[in-house]
Amino acid sequence: MTTTNGNGQSGPKLTLWEKLYFPEILRGMSITIRAFFRPKFTRQYPEERWVPPPVFRGRPVLVMEDETHVERCVACGLCARVCPSLAIEVQAAETELDKERYPERFEINMLRCIFCGFCEEVCPEEAIIMSKDFEITFTDPRDTIFGKDKLLIPASQLRDRLEFLKEYR
Amino acid sequence: MPKVTIVDDPANGEGKSVEVENGTTVIRAAAQAGVEVPHFCWHPGLSVAGNCRMCLVEIEKMPKLAIACATQVSDGMVVHVNSPKAVEARKAVLEFILINHPLDCPICDEAGECNLQDYTYSHGPGHSAFEEAKNKKPKRVPLGPNVVYDAERCILCSRCIRFMDEIAKEPTLTFVERGDRVFIDTFPGKGLTNPYSMNVIDLCPVGALTNREYRFKARVWETSSTEGICTGCARGCDINIWVRNNEILRLTPRHNPEVNYYWICDEGRLNSFRHVNSKERLNSPMIRKDGVLQEVGWDEALAHAADALKPFAKDEVAVLGSAYSSVEDNYVLQKFARQVLGTANIDFLRHETEGNQDGFLIRADKTPNAYGAREAGVVSTKGVDANRIFDLISSGKIKALYVMDDDVVTTKEREELLAKLDVLIVNHWVRTRTTELADVVFPSATFAEKFGTYVNFLGRVQLSRPAVSTQEQERVPGRFNMSRLDKFGSPFDKWNKGPRRNVRSSWEIVSAIGSLLGGKMRYQSAQKVFDEVAQSIPSFKGLSYARIGDRGALLKKSKEEALVR
Amino acid sequence: MIAIEALIKIVILVLVVLGIVAYLVLLERKVSAYMQDRIGPNRVGPKGLFQPFADILKLVLKEMIVPEKANKFIHALAPVISITVAIGALAVIPFGNYIVVGGQKISLMIANVNVGVLYILAMSSLGVYGITLSGWASNNKYSLLGGLRSSAQMISYELSLGLSLIGVFMINGTLQLDKITMAQSGGLWNIVYQPLGFLVFVTAAFAETNRLPFDLPEAEPELVGGYHTEYSGMRWGLFFLSEYTNMIVSSAVMVSLYFGGWSLPFVNYAHMAPNLAALIQVLTFFVKLGILIFIFMWVRWTLPRFRYDQLMNVGWKIMLPLAILNVLGTGAVLLAIK
Repeated sequence: MTTTNGNGQSGPKLTLWEKLYFPEILRGMSITIRAFFRPKFTRQYPEERWVPPPVFRGRPVLVMEDETHVERCVACGLCARVCPSLAIEVQAAETELDKERYPERFEINMLRCIFCGFCEEVCPEEAIIMSKDFEITFTDPRDTIFGKDKLLIPASQLRDRLEFLKEYR
Repeated sequence: MPKVTIVDDPANGEGKSVEVENGTTVIRAAAQAGVEVPHFCWHPGLSVAGNCRMCLVEIEKMPKLAIACATQVSDGMVVHVNSPKAVEARKAVLEFILINHPLDCPICDEAGECNLQDYTYSHGPGHSAFEEAKNKKPKRVPLGPNVVYDAERCILCSRCIRFMDEIAKEPTLTFVERGDRVFIDTFPGKGLTNPYSMNVIDLCPVGALTNREYRFKARVWETSSTEGICTGCARGCDINIWVRNNEILRLTPRHNPEVNYYWICDEGRLNSFRHVNSKERLNSPMIRKDGVLQEVGWDEALAHAADALKPFAKDEVAVLGSAYSSVEDNYVLQKFARQVLGTANIDFLRHETEGNQDGFLIRADKTPNAYGAREAGVVSTKGVDANRIFDLISSGKIKALYVMDDDVVTTKEREELLAKLDVLIVNHWVRTRTTELADVVFPSATFAEKFGTYVNFLGRVQLSRPAVSTQEQERVPGRFNMSRLDKFGSPFDKWNKGPRRNVRSSWEIVSAIGSLLGGKMRYQSAQKVFDEVAQSIPSFKGLSYARIGDRGALLKKSKEEALVR
Repeated sequence: MIAIEALIKIVILVLVVLGIVAYLVLLERKVSAYMQDRIGPNRVGPKGLFQPFADILKLVLKEMIVPEKANKFIHALAPVISITVAIGALAVIPFGNYIVVGGQKISLMIANVNVGVLYILAMSSLGVYGITLSGWASNNKYSLLGGLRSSAQMISYELSLGLSLIGVFMINGTLQLDKITMAQSGGLWNIVYQPLGFLVFVTAAFAETNRLPFDLPEAEPELVGGYHTEYSGMRWGLFFLSEYTNMIVSSAVMVSLYFGGWSLPFVNYAHMAPNLAALIQVLTFFVKLGILIFIFMWVRWTLPRFRYDQLMNVGWKIMLPLAILNVLGTGAVLLAIK
């Protein structure tokens, strides 16, 4: 229900009670004062830490097998292809292992990553998955490109997410 | 001539009628009508095998579906390419081919340019009735020095076998085993060592045959291709230059029935772009100061070169053009020699390797543009050829030499010879023994970094486009294959824009020196140079970049002796 | 002697007020946080109580950037005008009745001017100079627009502000704040007699102090920072201080005129020791002041900003007629009672 008010702009039609203004101000103030006395839920972050549930999408990492210390990644480049923000670069190379290829270089530009999880979804090997790590800060733009040294995480540390993916994907 | 009706869309029963030669196959007639019939084993450059059954079409008055590649047309034939029966049959064929084809597209190099992948998306059933384990076959088999074979991916279309039999004329490959165990191997004691062997990689409709060097280097969608000309020999094969991150990764042949058909030799494919990516590339003009070459800015080096050439009389200067450079470069150089320096001492070096020639593509002349250099005027009208120039240097009559895009110092004597010169100015793309002797060195753009035309040994002018960006010249990604990074990337993508070299086209360098010496030679682009070439040189009359097009254009008056060479 | 006494009172007052202002900033942040289901600053000191020191330290240490094309002198002068005028207005506020030091009665106000309220109105009108000049001297369109808005707004609401008070003067028959307080201490507070006048005064006071919903001179979405866009460091801090001081002045005037000042109903100070009485009086005054300031903040974090034309409409078409009506009504009633 809109109409034109005196200033030529459309807006809801007000009743006389509302037009008196002061009662409405008091109504608004009663809302804020109620909020004032409501209990607060703020978490004192650095002291009180939060462990995200498996559904949480933290920074993407590469899964490394525990026994062999070899990454699962076969450097197919689908994650780089699907990445909407062009954050991923993969350079493949040949390996003697059965998987034939491995990522010689795997880089994620964490300034660009938007944590959408498409890379995880598209990965045919469950090799790139979203971790629980959300504490990502930099003091130098050169540090923002994560190479294999920062991306490779042993599978045992990622069990929650891997099980979550098995169940829901 | 028989008249055939090709019906593409079953909803539109009218179809399109085409008149074709007697004996034409249905697949070619369909192509003539602008309809593509899906196919694996058939290739326009090879004989018909008819073993993949992918090209099944419904032909009226025929009891069964027929394969379009092996069925000859007859008058009044009506072909239904996409009738329900044909579509159903193709689904079945694809399901059949995929029984044992691994679904490893993510790690397959062919993905993105794979016929099987494309057809499975466009014509496939989307599921398979076969749940059994796929069979195991040899993987990573080196068939030759440059080709690796994956038998599991092979769909046994026999294109590679037919290529070796019919085109390379060196039967090397064959099927071995029977049934679902069949795969391709070389004959005992033979390897895939033919100089044209790598064409089987392009021919392979799936990722079974891979390029050992390019293997796993890049995904197809990461690379952009640019239409270029192979500069490996005087054939001037048409190629696509595949570039990622401003670096050439591979060359593939581009179809041109007038030059190279569908093929290219391994030498050209592997080695004709080596110097573009070379670590020895010059990246700045250099001037010899205190006996050492030191990097300086362009303006300083150009002025230095102009000053160095000024004191000499007409007969004391000589210029050497290059059969490696484009027509534009050579034209500007001869104009510089004749109008600015006023010298008749002009020629270019020949690079012919006797015996290294075959009846197919490879030519003895290992330069792409000897014909063009001659036509552009880089030959002396007074008979002062390259050997004479060297003699005159030796006798001290010639004191200054300009060398464009060529390495003069091939022997110890030449080195001593060039040391006698007062002034040696060189432009080249890499560090050579000639540049080491020079007083002024300019880094020049390679064929892959500039617009330029090349005239092959038959007198066909072809245009090559820049595939790699330099600081001066933005590259021109191909019209059909643009990588995702080129489409959507930004200058801030670390991996999108590789380093640009500080190089200039030779015509730019020479015309800049010429202008400093008072010559009227300022050009905005290579195209403008070529327009002047087309005006001033009779054999180029009427030509332009637009007229040259994709297939090139023959020069007006082909010189008899040029053909003989 | 009187001069020394006044000087001591001035020093104490200024220090106390500035201290209060510093903590008002913390209070405002806490109030806003609680109204938005947050906790607010709690890092510096216990429960965040030392936050004001951190804030002030930051302001003092921060560079004071002066735009190249600004009028340097006026740019520097404007915040000084603002803070001076704001603190100056406090001179006539009676915080209590009197204390006895060495047998001498010392009044708990700095200057007992017999036109006290007019003095406050005059001072608060001067405050517009600080803002307008800062807007002009910054050589920035946003600052200039902020300054212009401020002057238009202050002139518009000055009228209603003054007129709304006339009712109080008519009832109490004086312009001296201590006398008005005295007059209320025996009977009912003026708010009972002057509800309409109070409403108009409160509204106008919000406009005069440039606080939401009338903070158009510094409307962030449209004017960046308004008149103080080009200010940083302690110069900006002075504007900030003066805004909060203005809030204290407005609240103090309201307490004195409408809520009985330092007096409490049904409490007779005559039987008490004078200094104890003074202590209770001062505490009473500051509690009342605190409640009003909380209402200031409460309103700020409840109401959105007015549009400029709405502001002018309310000022001229509603506030002014209401104020005049209040004067006429009060006069009629007073006449009838006589």
